[in-house]
Amino acid sequence: MDENEKWILSFYRTSEITGALFFGRLAKGMKPGPIQRDMTKHFSDESLHAWYWQKCLEDLNEKPIKMRESYQDQYLEAAGMPVNIMEVLAITQIFEKRVIQQYAIHSQAPDLNPLIRNTFEKIMQDEKWHIEWVGKALKELESEYGKELIEQTIKKFSKADKEVYEKTLDEHEERLRKILSIRKK
Amino acid sequence: MAAFLKIKATKLTDEAVLTDLVTESFILVEMVIELQEEFSVRLVQEDLKHVKTFGDLIRVFESHAK
Repeated sequence: MDENEKWILSFYRTSEITGALFFGRLAKGMKPGPIQRDMTKHFSDESLHAWYWQKCLEDLNEKPIKMRESYQDQYLEAAGMPVNIMEVLAITQIFEKRVIQQYAIHSQAPDLNPLIRNTFEKIMQDEKWHIEWVGKALKELESEYGKELIEQTIKKFSKADKEVYEKTLDEHEERLRKILSIRKK
Repeated sequence: MAAFLKIKATKLTDEAVLTDLVTESFILVEMVIELQEEFSVRLVQEDLKHVKTFGDLIRVFESHAK
């Protein structure tokens, strides 16, 4: 396996673990209810995805690279710390859309190993549900936070997401562009 | 809060910088959300914009709890 590909699959794995741990701890501390329930499934999905990536790497006779920083760490830096559940869900919705977009681009990469493609396909099914439940939860939170504030929050985090994605592309330009065959806009 | 952060309560001084008390920023997010649930307070990002220390955080919660 190409070192660049090994790096990016390890990066996906680390981000899935970070998401699982964050939602797991949040779900543990929240009052029981629909959001807490769906967040519990969400963290179990993220955990499973991390396992899929590790299994995929091992099936390709590789070991994941241990990474300290994840994609989500950069989110906090760019967008600031979300301080309530609405803000957490707003940033999650933006992040999940970015994940789906990124996985869709990567799954179209030329000469992609079928094992990697199958892993994308399995994960993408769950990611669609993530966007669905988070969207529903945000709709339900309109009565508490107001539609306008939620829309403003999503807009603010979308801007931060674009910055983080561009920064990630810039930092790892060579390896990412080589694998994904994409051009900077 | 000391139990949540897994640190000694004596470290929670007014001047203690929050980012020095935690190893990961995500722990701060979880703690602030739990505290809001615990004290029935609702904050938005703007409320914590200038919060740096433990004392700053306490004062924000106090002002919103009134």
